[in-house]
Amino acid sequence: MAFCDLKPVRIFDEDSGCTFVIGDVFAVYTFGTDRPVVYEWGMMEEVIEERRTLIFKTGESVYKLPKKCFSVREDYFRAIAIIESSRRESDFSYTHENRVLPTKDQYIEFDYSKDAYIGESVIDENDTAAAFIMLMNVKLVKLLWLIAILIMLAVFALLHLFIGVTRDNILYFIPISVAVGGIITLIVYLVCHAVARSKYQKMSGTDPAADEIITFAVCQYGFAACESCIADNQEVVPWKMVDYFIETDKIYIFYKDTKAVVYMPKKAFEKKYHGGISDLISLHLEQK
Amino acid sequence: MGTDIKSEHIDIGGSNVLLVSVKGGRGVFGTCSVGHNMRRGDLTALNKVFYIGTDPVISLNCPNNGDKRTDRILSMCASYEGMAADIHTVMTDTLNRINRGDSLENGMRDLFMLLSDGVYTVYTSEYYPTDGNGTFFWGAYNIPHEVHGTAQYNRTIGKDKPYRPCFLLPGNTLDIYTTKKRATSDEAVKSRKYQGIVYHLAGLHSVLLKGHHGAVSCVAADIPFRCAVIEKLSDPYTVPFAVPMAAPAPEAEEPKEGEAAPVENAEPAPAAVAATEPHEGVTGFRSASVKVPIELMPKEMLRILIENRREAKPAHYANLVQKLNQVRRKTLSNNTIPRNIHEKCELMPDCEMIESAFAVESLSEPQLAALLSGDTEYEGKVIISPNFYSSIVTACNYLQFHDETRFVDFAISIMDNPELYATHEYIAKRIARLSNKKVYNFFKAALVNDEGRYEKILETADRYVKDYDVRH
Repeated sequence: MAFCDLKPVRIFDEDSGCTFVIGDVFAVYTFGTDRPVVYEWGMMEEVIEERRTLIFKTGESVYKLPKKCFSVREDYFRAIAIIESSRRESDFSYTHENRVLPTKDQYIEFDYSKDAYIGESVIDENDTAAAFIMLMNVKLVKLLWLIAILIMLAVFALLHLFIGVTRDNILYFIPISVAVGGIITLIVYLVCHAVARSKYQKMSGTDPAADEIITFAVCQYGFAACESCIADNQEVVPWKMVDYFIETDKIYIFYKDTKAVVYMPKKAFEKKYHGGISDLISLHLEQK
Repeated sequence: MGTDIKSEHIDIGGSNVLLVSVKGGRGVFGTCSVGHNMRRGDLTALNKVFYIGTDPVISLNCPNNGDKRTDRILSMCASYEGMAADIHTVMTDTLNRINRGDSLENGMRDLFMLLSDGVYTVYTSEYYPTDGNGTFFWGAYNIPHEVHGTAQYNRTIGKDKPYRPCFLLPGNTLDIYTTKKRATSDEAVKSRKYQGIVYHLAGLHSVLLKGHHGAVSCVAADIPFRCAVIEKLSDPYTVPFAVPMAAPAPEAEEPKEGEAAPVENAEPAPAAVAATEPHEGVTGFRSASVKVPIELMPKEMLRILIENRREAKPAHYANLVQKLNQVRRKTLSNNTIPRNIHEKCELMPDCEMIESAFAVESLSEPQLAALLSGDTEYEGKVIISPNFYSSIVTACNYLQFHDETRFVDFAISIMDNPELYATHEYIAKRIARLSNKKVYNFFKAALVNDEGRYEKILETADRYVKDYDVRH
């Protein structure tokens, strides 16, 4: 099992008086008891990661573990990694907030420490937002041209309808139509930029990993993007888990079913390796 | 931080079980995962390694992403040259101490300090010094091969029944075998109470940490190879609550005699299980041979158990992984185990017999008669399995382990039944392992029979008759 070496996490919830142990099993010492109720992960019906709480639903009970109980950030990442990697074997239902990194159930154990490009970096919000916008530009460029032309024609038609086009005023109406089309298109473009940026901010805001130093790795068997505090270079996401990738000047984005799985900033790796990394990824994934 | 060892005896359904917890252990030996391996173009084979000190000793390849029902592919690691001297000294001292009369918990204390953190059960049991397939264990694992009986959940025994591991893997290379040491151990084994120390590895197989020469001597002198066994308690188990609390608890099983018989185990008696209140979560934790309900487990040990992972990577993990791909400088030893040892091992119970012995509690004559008449049920209950051929094979193996006379009669009845033609070859091979006059007569008669009903067993029969004639 991937992440099998992470030490179990013991968390005390002051509000409920319960102590939770998240490890090979999920154990709960309820208030006033000295023996825990122990669950195999296979007994878990559902685990829900909400913005402020982790909810564990077994057949009979529902346990709520507020995230504020994790006084050490590493404990939180360890707990999440253990839950997600357990899911690979036990297959319980798991709902989680938006993520900037792949969930840990996609990893397999694989020692890549010798033959991999490994680097560390935080995922920079500006770089990622810029990549978002660039991708959006690619998608929107034709649409924006269409919008501009349609608005120009519409404005010209309206002017003709209400004022009437004559030889005298046509030289004024054409620049007016072009200007209105251009301005409205620019506004649409700016709105889309704002949406793209807020979309990333919303996603990164729900994942504490967005502020963490991430260890990135690329090897011939797959890639890894894992919080540095729990990474041990022994786990890899096989290439088959992603469909294609997009490369910008600052970032690689891996996609699965048209959804971004990971944003891998190039600055995590030394510049001299960028070419090799791009080649290695291209060998395994289609570039779009 | 020092190592904290605690031991406690608990009573489970009349069986006394010794539990040992280790906190801050040195992790000198144990099993750890070394990741996936590229096999047939995919990454589905999970690799594990049993290590002693900084040396990988046994490589375990677990196909199908480490599926618990699949047998492992085992081999000695190519880089392994032998146990480090300081570790070997601890093993020797431990074996001497328990043979001088120290209890297991006191005598093995130094050895417990070498374990990784967790809870272990320690007991004594008789081992067959084979690989479970009739080959003497020492030198049997030089080439990677699938070893029957190494799956975590044995398909014949089932997922829920505990069992006693009874086959061996070597913890040292054959290089250390010398006739001089053998001569010493020939004398020593006669007075020893415990012949070796083993650590449970996978399924029915354990690694022999100490007592390799003793194993050779024991086989030669027909002395039972009784070992002190260390098993890690880590897997949770659940007994579904079926009996209403108001109903009277079923009668407790009669305590079984002796400790060594492999069919016996420390599973809680039905009364003990039914007496516990229905509760949420798992019932307890188990190793291969014992199931310990949570209620009976000391609190501190329970805490150590749930706050440690099943397989921790040792501090020298990187070194271990690096050594995995190396090949030792020394050439393979030319040492050979005497031929008579191999011949005796061929006659020892094999994995299929042991599995059947654990899977089947008892087989009465009417049940055997029902099987022979083609039924898989007797008095409305499934005798062994709903699968008829599986039932026949399991019954044969069970009888072969427990009662040779009944086995011979049952096997001959099967081979006389043309409707069970599909099982003839297998049964003939099983029965040919015995040196028995009745079998000899049957095979001789089969050879002269020209009706064609014994077609599948003629080759085995011919070889058996010739061999029997030479021997007698």
